[in-house]
Amino acid sequence: MMEVLRAEGIFKSRTDSRKGLTKEILKGIDLSLGKGELWALIGPSGGGKTTLIRLFNRLEEPSAGRILFHGQDIRDGNPLELRRRVMLIQQKAFMFSGTVLDNLQRSFVLGGEAPPPADDRRIRRAVDLCCLPANLIGEEARALSAGQQQRVHLARGLLCRPEILILDEGTSALDRPTAEELISNFRNLCREEGLTILMVSHDLPLMERAADKGLYLEGGKILEQGAAPDFFRKPESPQMIRFMAEMPARGE
Amino acid sequence: MEEKTIIDLAYSDLAVVYGVILFLVGLSRWQQIGQERALLIAAARMGVQLLAAGYLLHLIFALQSPWPVMLILVVMGVFAIQTVASRVKTRIPRFYTIVTSSIFIGCGVMTFFFCQIVIGLEPWYDPRYLIPLTGMIIGNSMTGASLAAERLASEMKERRDEIETALCLGASSRMAAFDVVRSAFRAALIPSINSMAAMGIVFLPGMMTGQILSGTEPMIAVKYQIAIMCAITGSVAVTSLLILIQGRRAYFTGAHQLIDR
Repeated sequence: MMEVLRAEGIFKSRTDSRKGLTKEILKGIDLSLGKGELWALIGPSGGGKTTLIRLFNRLEEPSAGRILFHGQDIRDGNPLELRRRVMLIQQKAFMFSGTVLDNLQRSFVLGGEAPPPADDRRIRRAVDLCCLPANLIGEEARALSAGQQQRVHLARGLLCRPEILILDEGTSALDRPTAEELISNFRNLCREEGLTILMVSHDLPLMERAADKGLYLEGGKILEQGAAPDFFRKPESPQMIRFMAEMPARGE
Repeated sequence: MEEKTIIDLAYSDLAVVYGVILFLVGLSRWQQIGQERALLIAAARMGVQLLAAGYLLHLIFALQSPWPVMLILVVMGVFAIQTVASRVKTRIPRFYTIVTSSIFIGCGVMTFFFCQIVIGLEPWYDPRYLIPLTGMIIGNSMTGASLAAERLASEMKERRDEIETALCLGASSRMAAFDVVRSAFRAALIPSINSMAAMGIVFLPGMMTGQILSGTEPMIAVKYQIAIMCAITGSVAVTSLLILIQGRRAYFTGAHQLIDR
């Protein structure tokens, strides 16, 4: 396996300026993501999942530790270039004003390319992969449903041609069949093009079917990690056993 | 040309005109409007403050030295910064540094341009021109600065998702905050644009009216008014732009990260 992303001894603390309290959110994270793997990052809310993934594309810096992308410390590179190669799809699907096409074209413009037309091969492909009906492309993006906006958000990220795609609850607004189809498309991207995916999700059944490997994060520490299906079916730490028992099984 | 002298007002005339305020106080009490105290205090403050300012100006005009003039201008600048600080509820980071440097540079450059290059003051510090003109420039720039700083701070907070979405797609901090800066700049310029457009039709501006009252030929007064309005608009624009550029930088790290607030 070729390693693409590696985290070593990551700590992150945050200070609440009003209360003057410093809280440690991540307490020593080590992980390694290989090329073409699909990882699930699960754990209770407030456990540090979102904080952790914001460090991978340098939206924030860790308080201690280092992150390597292709063996190189990400602090030594250009953050703007890094963010296009390590694409973070944030939970909030913000739509820029304008049509769906305007939103998709922004990925090219921000990469210094001319905006391609609606029938461009790359745009059509991203729209298909994200299960967006092609007739929505001329619609006002902010008038779409939450699920449609989420898919535009994903397609916009894919169009930057990332090597790692990080999804924060990227399918939460989708219905079951659409989420399944979309994840299956993304899985193919991992297999065929070597895209690495890290998905934060509370949809455990979906994660169990799709992911190659899983990470369990609680209280700022990775308590368990391993390959599916054993990762999901045979947790060992009491925290993860409790978490898996309490999560309502979605769908089915 | 026939020399016209302005009719001076005696202090007794002022006493008579203050009678209007007293009449209003009576009216307020009779009709139970409840503004007697506020009216009296405001009228008294006005009298004291303006008489003090008048004596100060009288003194400075007599001194014929640049130092007291410069001191007055700096004091005006400091008051302007205090006013901006009191008006702006949501503060941008490094608020005082940014607002102070922007007001002093923005107003300083425009005042120099207007007084030295356009009017050509002789001597350069002539307080009869420099003090009121700088006052107008600072006063208007102060309003522009408040609007720019307030708008920048509130939009940077409200539009966090938009800015971070753009950053995730590889936008630089400048690009990610471009729309925010643009809308704050627009907000800062609106009062100047509106007042230029309405001038002469909706109202006769104060400086021009004052010059005409004191015997200046109306066309001269009009030319001064046009010139000062251009200088004011220029100063509002430069001051707010300096605030916005420095303010935008204060929201990001060198690695294009939106700082946590």
